[in-house]
Amino acid sequence: MPVAATLSSAGSDAGAAQSPSRSSSDAVAARSPSRSSSEAVAARIRVRYAKTGKLRFISAIDLGRLWERALRKAGLPIAYSEGFSPHPKISFPDALPVGCASTGEYAELTFAAPVAVDAAIRDLNAAFVDGCEVWQAVPVVHGAPRLSTLLAASLWQIDYPSDTDPCDVDAAVAALRAAQRVVIARHRKSETVEADLRPFVHDLVGSGTCVRAVLLRSEPPVRAGELHAALAAFRPDAAGRQALPEPTRFTRVAQGAPAENGVDEALSGARVALGASGDP
Amino acid sequence: MATSASSRESIWADLEPLLPQVRKPAQYTGGEGNIVVKDHRACSSSWLLVYPDAYEVGQPNQGVQILYEVLGEREGTVAERGYSPAADMEALLRQHGLPFFSLETHRPLRAFDVVAFSLATELGYTNLLTALDLGEMAVRAADRADDAPLVMVGGHAAFNPEPLAPFVDVVCAGDGEEFVGEVDDLVKAWRADRERGAGWPREELLEAIAEVDGAYVPRFYEAEYTRQGRLRGTFPRRRGVPYRVPKRTVSNLDAWPYPKRSVVPLTETVHERYSVEIFRGCTRGCRFCQAGMITRPVRERSKDTIKEMVDNGLAETGFEEVGLLSLSSADHSEIQGLCGEVADAYEGTATSLSLPSTRVDAFNVDLADELTRDGRRSGLTFAPEAGTERMRRVINKTVAEADMLATAEAAFSRGWRHIKLYFMIGLPTETDADVVGIAELGLKVLEVGKRYGKKNKVTVSVGGFVPKPHTPFQWAAQDSPEQLRHKIGLIKSRVGGEKGLNLRYHDPAPGVLEGILARGDRWVADAVQRAFELGARFDGWDECFDLELWRRALADAGLDEAWYTTRERDEAEVFPWEHLDSGLERDWLWTDWQEALAERELGDCRWIPCYDCGVCPGLDLEHQTGHLPIISAS
Repeated sequence: MPVAATLSSAGSDAGAAQSPSRSSSDAVAARSPSRSSSEAVAARIRVRYAKTGKLRFISAIDLGRLWERALRKAGLPIAYSEGFSPHPKISFPDALPVGCASTGEYAELTFAAPVAVDAAIRDLNAAFVDGCEVWQAVPVVHGAPRLSTLLAASLWQIDYPSDTDPCDVDAAVAALRAAQRVVIARHRKSETVEADLRPFVHDLVGSGTCVRAVLLRSEPPVRAGELHAALAAFRPDAAGRQALPEPTRFTRVAQGAPAENGVDEALSGARVALGASGDP
Repeated sequence: MATSASSRESIWADLEPLLPQVRKPAQYTGGEGNIVVKDHRACSSSWLLVYPDAYEVGQPNQGVQILYEVLGEREGTVAERGYSPAADMEALLRQHGLPFFSLETHRPLRAFDVVAFSLATELGYTNLLTALDLGEMAVRAADRADDAPLVMVGGHAAFNPEPLAPFVDVVCAGDGEEFVGEVDDLVKAWRADRERGAGWPREELLEAIAEVDGAYVPRFYEAEYTRQGRLRGTFPRRRGVPYRVPKRTVSNLDAWPYPKRSVVPLTETVHERYSVEIFRGCTRGCRFCQAGMITRPVRERSKDTIKEMVDNGLAETGFEEVGLLSLSSADHSEIQGLCGEVADAYEGTATSLSLPSTRVDAFNVDLADELTRDGRRSGLTFAPEAGTERMRRVINKTVAEADMLATAEAAFSRGWRHIKLYFMIGLPTETDADVVGIAELGLKVLEVGKRYGKKNKVTVSVGGFVPKPHTPFQWAAQDSPEQLRHKIGLIKSRVGGEKGLNLRYHDPAPGVLEGILARGDRWVADAVQRAFELGARFDGWDECFDLELWRRALADAGLDEAWYTTRERDEAEVFPWEHLDSGLERDWLWTDWQEALAERELGDCRWIPCYDCGVCPGLDLEHQTGHLPIISAS
């Protein structure tokens, strides 16, 4: 188990106003005081970071440049690849769809020389624009499993408009939980293929006007938008329930190992509970 | 008033839900690095700086960046930026009744005191009208209420503002750094009096602004025509406004070390780098080059200031590239030391350095080598502009072919693998032989390249020439698209299927519009408005430009395309821009035009005695370079 270098997160930026509120369980790793005085020094580190607010709308390519510039601005010695057009050695295990918020993004950074992890992340966070913030960083120890293998499940939250009837949410969730197969249509270039989402929906709950679900990693990955489409596809039942409206927000809350009632967050191992809504 | 107050607030809450429905949503979010966000209620003037093109094109614009910082540093002044919404976003905004907005706080255009457009090219004029219309403004200045924002334009294309004259309140001719501060003071006084209930009419504010050096207020001037429809002149109609408006010139660039903290875009743009102008102005005297003519005299920024700006600029932005900008970079008197020192400072940091606008000579290869010590020598770009020595004498960009090939030799022998050559076709006096000369020069350069590597490449890029105001070629006839297509065909067939030579050219059709707008008069404004009404947008984009739509707009306005484009003007022609004084003497421009037709070159006035173009004495300035002064031998 890698040593966690835990960081307290600065709170009062404009981006935070846009970002989902961090409930105590979602941000458990970030807020845990237990190992906040780490003085770890490492050349390779893994981070959990948040991409929220206006940064929801930037692409994966934009995100790479954002990281490179913040690292340069912070004066951190990120390593560059050899070759004709050198690239900074930052790897992102998977891409977040444009438009989605996340408090559960991950990256692995390789530096040209060892850095003091806590200080580096503090400088990096100061260099980021609002909406990007590292919540936690750990040194990569020799023989550690690949980062992507630590991200076997992701906890998503889908927020619906505040005037949505919570009973509609509960009805759709119950119908999906009860279903054997949940078939959605995926549009690929010229063809449309059908896919069954059900095997990859580890668990889901309704909570007020939002739905939280643990999705298992798959190839291609199940998108939160597809989960919404499946939820919205359940027709009104005998009780006269309404189909769900367009969500106001998709948020990837955390990633890690699938667990009972949530995920065990990849870097800290702390349980992020399925049931804890991000809404106050 | 409750209604006007609410219409001044941010529209972000209404805009955000629309973003998932548009392409490239990050261009509308703002929130970039180094933006300046101020509380409007605590400020006494507000400016919206608009680049009337897509964010990806406009965001890197150096002029907007400079003025954004200059205004943003002023106490009590808020400056925000705006860019043209793409078609999908414009449709959504109209569908939802939302206005043109700023990026910093997503306030409606009407919430600002001044809306200032940067006009780098003529092809953004319909986007300018779109911004006004979408911003809930009367498109015509005469129809605006006293409290509507002031509409201002500046930038190189504003040196002939007549095709926009009915739409704008104020034109800035020349450098904006000092100008905007003086106008800002007047706007603050105007607004303060209005808020005290002692407001003065818009006309009075415009009268005050008209006294600022470099300000042209079109409504105070009238264009007079003869009965045959020829322009007699554009004359003041208000006491106290200048007969000719002198351009504004900042004399000391070291006193204006901007940009200091460039905005760092969140999403892709055409140039992502920290750029610093190493000098403004140019004395080379290329006869086609409007930028070189209207920005005289040369004002160098000192090496120390440049280095300090680069150091701070990179630290503040995190950019991985530095651009050292000017119209002819190698002409800076300390260029060699500058390139060496900047290269030393950033060696091994994966920072790339670029020096655009270099001339074809071996010295530039030395500089390029210096800037690429890490050995990444991919492409080197030169602009010979014309294919034969005769043609280059006409345009006054004289480089001997032997020197050009020697430059290519130097480059390829030192590991450069790709040379890009930029040319123009449609130049005055051009013959088919001159055009074929472009292909032949490209092939000769390729032949040199092949000696150093079978895979070495040459790109020949060809654009159609558009005559511009305030240049010796302002009298010239512009080629029709048909003529240009014929000339492209000549180059194509000469190049044949030559492997290793990549020929690039643009469709000549948009050049027609560029020509009409560049040399247009006030009547052209009717066609601009008509084209906007017919749906013209993003005229600089091949996929959006529609010549037939513009031809309909010209016909509706009763205008003749050929009159503005393919007609050669005679000595008696009065131009629509002559009441804007770029400093160049009309007589000198005419003489230089005659010299061009006689195929005679003119030297660089840094090295030869002054030939009286008129700029320096008019501005009471001299070229400021670190070069030794030239003592006249005569």
